[in-house]
Amino acid sequence: MPEVVVPIGPHHPALKEPVNFRVIADGEKIVRLELDLSYNHRGIEKAAEQRNFIRVLPLLERVCGICSHSHATAFAKGVEEIMGLEIPPRARYIRTIIAELERMHSHLLWLGVAAHEIGFNTLFMWSWRDREAVQDTLEEMSGNRVHYGMNEIGGVRRDLTPAQIKTALARLPDLEDRIQKYVGMVNSEETMLIRFRGVGKMSREEALKYGAVGPTARASGVDYDVRRDDPYLAYDEIPWKVITDNHGDVYGRTRVRVGELWESTQIVRFCLENIPAGPVRVEAPKNAPEGEILSRYEAPRGELAHYIRTNGTDKVERIDIRSPTLANWTSVAMCLTGQNLADIPVIVAAIDPCLSCTCRMVVVHRRGGRAVPGTAAGESGHDPKSRQDGWRP
Amino acid sequence: MSDPVFIFLYIFVFPGFLFLFAYAFFLAYLDRKIAARMQQRIGPPIFQPLADFIKMLGKEVIDPDGVDRRLFDAIPVIALAAVMTAFLYVPVSGASPFAFSGDLVLVLYLMAFPTLALFLLGWLSRNIFSAIGGIRAVTQLFIYEVPFFLAILTPAIMAGSWSISDIVLWQQHNPWLVFLQPIGFVVALIGLQAKLERTPFDIPEAETEIVAGPWTELTGRRLALMHLATELSLVTGSALIAALFLGGPMLPWVLPAPWMNAAAGFALFLAKTLAILLVLSSITVATGRLRIDQLNDIGWKYIASAALVQAGIVLVINYLWVVP
Amino acid sequence: MSVLREMIGNFFSRPVTIRYPWIKVPIPDTFRGRVANTDELCIGCSKCSLVCPAQVITMIDGPRDVVFKGKTLARKKRPQVDLYKCIRCGLCERHCPTGSIHLEHVHAGTGTDRDVRVT
Ligand code: SF4
Ligand code: SF4
Repeated sequence: MPEVVVPIGPHHPALKEPVNFRVIADGEKIVRLELDLSYNHRGIEKAAEQRNFIRVLPLLERVCGICSHSHATAFAKGVEEIMGLEIPPRARYIRTIIAELERMHSHLLWLGVAAHEIGFNTLFMWSWRDREAVQDTLEEMSGNRVHYGMNEIGGVRRDLTPAQIKTALARLPDLEDRIQKYVGMVNSEETMLIRFRGVGKMSREEALKYGAVGPTARASGVDYDVRRDDPYLAYDEIPWKVITDNHGDVYGRTRVRVGELWESTQIVRFCLENIPAGPVRVEAPKNAPEGEILSRYEAPRGELAHYIRTNGTDKVERIDIRSPTLANWTSVAMCLTGQNLADIPVIVAAIDPCLSCTCRMVVVHRRGGRAVPGTAAGESGHDPKSRQDGWRP
Repeated sequence: MSDPVFIFLYIFVFPGFLFLFAYAFFLAYLDRKIAARMQQRIGPPIFQPLADFIKMLGKEVIDPDGVDRRLFDAIPVIALAAVMTAFLYVPVSGASPFAFSGDLVLVLYLMAFPTLALFLLGWLSRNIFSAIGGIRAVTQLFIYEVPFFLAILTPAIMAGSWSISDIVLWQQHNPWLVFLQPIGFVVALIGLQAKLERTPFDIPEAETEIVAGPWTELTGRRLALMHLATELSLVTGSALIAALFLGGPMLPWVLPAPWMNAAAGFALFLAKTLAILLVLSSITVATGRLRIDQLNDIGWKYIASAALVQAGIVLVINYLWVVP
Repeated sequence: MSVLREMIGNFFSRPVTIRYPWIKVPIPDTFRGRVANTDELCIGCSKCSLVCPAQVITMIDGPRDVVFKGKTLARKKRPQVDLYKCIRCGLCERHCPTGSIHLEHVHAGTGTDRDVRVT
């Protein structure tokens, strides 16, 4: 069979996100992948430069719907460091609680999506059902299910009341029970094993070479977690461990994620039980001194980096967001080659792509007039000339 | 039996097309409801499949560029007609009046039509997703059809007849074939699941991989008719398996009045098809999709050999113990 | 196998789906819902309109007397919120010195009407 081009996205139902890539397949085997990132560029970084530190946080939360707390915290953390602010311990704990709840809801969502990609809709329904408990907790604590709006420069906006802590703790045993079940299912359910095992293999060397981050890298045996290696918030006071796995395939990534789910419940439990008393914020100055910082944060999908430069005003001079998905994309392009056409959704989903967060910069090629992503696509080895034939804009 | 009014009623009202449609919609509803409840959802209301059907009938029909419109219109109708015809030969309450020796082969042949229709649709659609889906449909057909045929034909060998109604009659005096041929029964259920393209065999229409496979370019009444054809296949398939393995709509003893016999047979038919549906739905809920190469492996390595073993056992039994 | 056990268990238990329009879920009292303003408290300081990240608060004319810290003040402006654009972030509530503008604990969607304004 001759090579066929299978277009995936931006209107493909498997990826309900603005990404566009073309899979060159030979029968059911994938020959190569042509990535086209930045299908929709939202200009958030530029917009962030126009707003002062109070008003920029809701904007940065909206970089991503699922890791909204990650972006806000990474930014707030960086700016606080530039300002030399020490946030109160209670605020640190509250941020940690929200961050881990967010990780839980993100991983539960991911588990469902991964199951859905192999047509196992039952697990999808179940894990999303259990995700509701996490979301309810988040809603009670922060006032919203998705964009929590908990952060502000200098602390958190809302305090946790004893009643909230009590309901959250009351919800945890059930959730832990469910998560234990998922750990069991992931490890023993044949219908998942058969589709996850050996699919999208990536060795430790490859993971390091292609710069994979987060669960994707940890599944290949890269023992790296920002929470431990560059502790922030309250992570250095909490007993927890980094989950790694040596499988390096989708199965390994699933195992890492369900393992992290369990760790997250334990972190949340610890924080809720040992939350220190005290104020939840300190008064932040209006302006930040001149400075620049790379603020790192372990988002549910991997290491998130905010590069922030301030210039003594109440706005940032430049902010550059490197979302974890961007770091993981090249590894996907590598993993997919030689795989089965039917495995595209699982392999792509296995990095838990959050594509809207990835769309940052677009370089328009002068000759073709086509937008070519300026960042990761260069790695995927496509040649700008070849994409012009057969491509109708 | 050959009274034209009776034949007319049989074909069009009961247990013919009217009943078939109603029951197909009911089974489709039940299937979704069972799946929903197993996933702790509520599931659709009872008229949802009918409502879907009517809604789709009313939708605009879009012709893909460069597709033969008449052929595209005709294929779903042919698939539907084939399945409807097949149903007439399956006993519903008592033996079918159209039964002839060898109707089992005809039914199997007609039941393969929807898959072939899907392949043709995929091929005609001029759409890469449809084409891949169509190819997958045929690949899958070759994989499951052999064990399915073997599993279905073993009852015929054992009963010594190629007529479904005769096999049912045979089971009236003998134990149900499910007890005599458990492996064959399991293989037949798996084959039916694959024939209906339900998880784990929904490879041709894998939603997350190739949009909807051959269904991608179907719109309006074409989609409605194709859906209807699959729903009817579900009824026909489960009725066929109920007849071949579970004794069909016959009581082991004869009741005093003929109408009582018919009523009891019908009740048995409902109970057995519903039981089969429950099993099929549970399989759908409990599994994810296989990959076509994995299906190839499993199908030829295990399912086909299981069917072969069953056929061998049946032949040996038949040789040693000549059934009356 | 655990899937099978789970399936059967679920089959005989009640669905968790909430039939929304008929059954309303309790709203936590931290919920960030529709913006509302208490006219008697608002001193027209414009702080809310300055912090609003979506820039949906405009100060409109609204001459009135407000009692603030025991003094009666004559104020000229009051905030008007363009509900269609409000993102329910709650920053206005957080920064209002008098607690006048606040988010109500109601599930009120943004709606389809572009011209809903709350003063
Ligand atoms: S609502 Fe509050 S912040 Fe806004 S003008 Fe009135 S007093 Fe000031
Ligand atoms: S909730 Fe946020 S967006 Fe809405 S009016 Fe208040 S500050 Fe503006």
